[in-house]
Amino acid sequence: MDVREIIARRAAQELEDGQVANLGFGIPTQAVNYLPESVTLIMHTENGAFGFGARPSYNTCNSDITNAGSEPVTLLNGGACMSLATSLGAMRNGYIDVTILGALEVDQEGNIANWAVKRNGMWWPGIGGAMDLTYGTKKIIATLQHTDKKGNSKIKKHCELPLTGKGCVKTIITEKAVFDIDAGQLILREVYPGLSVQDIQNITEAEFIVSSTLKEMTL
Amino acid sequence: MKSKVMPIEEALSVVKDGTRLMLGGFIDAGSPLVSIEKLVARNVKDLTLIAVTPGMSGFGKSMLYKNKQVKELISTHVGTSAESTEAYLAGELLVKEFFPMGTWIEKVRAGAMGLGGVLVPVGVGILDAEGLFPDLEKPKEVVEVNGVKCFIEPALTAEVAIVKAWRADTMGNLEFRGTSLNNNMDIAMAGKYTIAEVNEIVPVGTIAPERVGCPGVFVNAVVQGQKIDEQDELYKSVWLDRGKLVKEDINGRS
Repeated sequence: MDVREIIARRAAQELEDGQVANLGFGIPTQAVNYLPESVTLIMHTENGAFGFGARPSYNTCNSDITNAGSEPVTLLNGGACMSLATSLGAMRNGYIDVTILGALEVDQEGNIANWAVKRNGMWWPGIGGAMDLTYGTKKIIATLQHTDKKGNSKIKKHCELPLTGKGCVKTIITEKAVFDIDAGQLILREVYPGLSVQDIQNITEAEFIVSSTLKEMTL
Repeated sequence: MKSKVMPIEEALSVVKDGTRLMLGGFIDAGSPLVSIEKLVARNVKDLTLIAVTPGMSGFGKSMLYKNKQVKELISTHVGTSAESTEAYLAGELLVKEFFPMGTWIEKVRAGAMGLGGVLVPVGVGILDAEGLFPDLEKPKEVVEVNGVKCFIEPALTAEVAIVKAWRADTMGNLEFRGTSLNNNMDIAMAGKYTIAEVNEIVPVGTIAPERVGCPGVFVNAVVQGQKIDEQDELYKSVWLDRGKLVKEDINGRS
């Protein structure tokens, strides 16, 4: 199983039936493929809809029904369109239950950075709706690979990149581990099968404690 | 009553070099594509473009960056399109400031509603960090209201706004399809002169009052864009090309 699939499968387990969910692009969106049948979400897209569904077929595609990536989607029965202002207001004001976000870095205080990197010495801004989402959403799940290409931990003591949200992340899911952040503490909850706490310590810059109910991920 | 329908060239003549221009749409979904094409053909320069994202690569607004017509972009992203990315990195596209999407649309909405601005708590302590916006003339202002720290975010308005709707009547009442309402109604109200590009122009009375997504009072000119079938075909071909849509085989399977 590749790294992205591990993360997507594990992230799917965090979602509960009936939740209003906004999933970021990439791995987060992939998580819906692994939802158990008992879980139905109300999917929110920030361009302005609750209750969007899968990609349409070519023949039924409507060029005015799109997601936040301007890709064709469908609207399910019970879905609702709204203006962009209303949609972003819903995000800011706590109407979204859960979000899964890709992250560039996270840290032990629940900070997340996922919108700005430097390119040619210039800040490369791609902020979109991510900051509104981290501001208002009840449960924020950060998904990312545990280390960068050089093997450096992306779970830091302190994020170095500009933040998207402060102290907002509740759960961090990587291909190696699952952490919760509770009362300002990073808690190791699950490890990938076969890995030890020491293995996780070796690849994690952040300080963490180990949950008394530590277990292996089931995927 | 005089009809608001006019030839697209006539309506667009209000856009000149240096115009502060708002364009509706979300990454070029629900976007006034024909008007943009005409602006590219007219080659008006030094535009200040206010749009929620730069647009989609190879398409719509991106042609304005490719043709070096945009001096400054006021948006929530810089790089949703290859052309905007290239212009920004080459130093040809000024981005003094960018906003979280909810802040951006509330600034537009404040402009639409005749307010001086809005108080926004999102990003306080992050977006006012030193060095993040080197081109700002003065630092972002923060006030505390009801115990919450907020940025003072001044309203955004434009000399000309161009929006896209499904259909309009000759009084300028607009009806939208699907998610393509997005920011089009707020942008229509935030422009001093507002042009609505539509797929279909219908007689007054065709759009039931409760189906009007944007009252005609906010619209100065109605122009004919692509017919709805042409629009569907265009987007479908773009999506097919980019792997976002799959053509069914003869048995209807995709």
